[in-house]
Amino acid sequence: MVSTYCNRFYSSKPELAARRIEAIGYQVGHQLSERYTMERPRFSDHLEAIKFICKDFWSELFKKQIDNLKTNHRGTFVLQDNRFRWLTRMSVEPTSGNTDASQADSSTSAADNKALPATSMHLYFPCGIIRGALTNLGIPCAVSADMSNLPACSFVIRIKA
Amino acid sequence: MIVCVAVVGHQNNPLYLQSFTDADDALKLHHIVHCSLDVIDERVNNPKKTGPTLNEAFLGLLYPSENYKAYGYLTNTKVKFIFVTTDLDVKDADVRNFFKRFHSAYVDAVSNPFHVPGKKITSKTFAERALSIFLFPFLGVGMVEPEVLNSYHETLNWKKPWCPFV
Repeated sequence: MVSTYCNRFYSSKPELAARRIEAIGYQVGHQLSERYTMERPRFSDHLEAIKFICKDFWSELFKKQIDNLKTNHRGTFVLQDNRFRWLTRMSVEPTSGNTDASQADSSTSAADNKALPATSMHLYFPCGIIRGALTNLGIPCAVSADMSNLPACSFVIRIKA
Repeated sequence: MIVCVAVVGHQNNPLYLQSFTDADDALKLHHIVHCSLDVIDERVNNPKKTGPTLNEAFLGLLYPSENYKAYGYLTNTKVKFIFVTTDLDVKDADVRNFFKRFHSAYVDAVSNPFHVPGKKITSKTFAERALSIFLFPFLGVGMVEPEVLNSYHETLNWKKPWCPFV
């Protein structure tokens, strides 16, 4: 889906593709949160809702829980997943059988340049899912993703006051 | 007998409102639903500190009047379900069960990709499920006469008669 949007529909405008993918994620999160919170008592505060996202929601989606949750108690939460399922199959180091060092270097950097945006594209969808789920639970927020060391990635949630 | 069910969104916008009476007392029922919204707000904003009912979705009896009883249910996503009944001795467990079934019908309806969040639910399937829950509110207790059923088909403007057990 991500590649279809990036390469076919919006090949010239990556920002537009990202927005579109995020919007699809938003809708998915919105609907899933309705379904998965059916059996639960209501959440009393933000932290409880975020904990729900980390534990139950994440294990429904990715069959594992979020590994680390950090917060500054002022509306910013960092959710860290050490082995994000959709990134485990991403190749970080492109294999190169070329002996020529300079050529290998250039091809590596070129592949890196290509791979990084492609990987970040794949994170817009989960960002949208988190944003949709939290918005549906009554917490408007902004979500961004960070992938400094693959396949670990972290999602930063900033709650709008 | 259940006379009215309502689904109200998180900004108190009506998402689905259906009354099941032939008489023209729809306005009165809508008024009751409207009043119970205030009661729900009150319950949620000053919760009683007693017992395990804290933060439960089922809100219990909201608004007893001479002829009607209104029950409420508030989901995690701040969507309210209200139903008004003329039965004056209803068991809490039955009402819970009713709301649970209604909630799953609602979840299925909003999971439709063509449903716009915050807009009225126009799904025919949802209307049918609401009707079937209304006809058999407490899991099959009490059958309904075919004439009664047919009159509802007319009010709901369905071309093809639909009945689970005929």
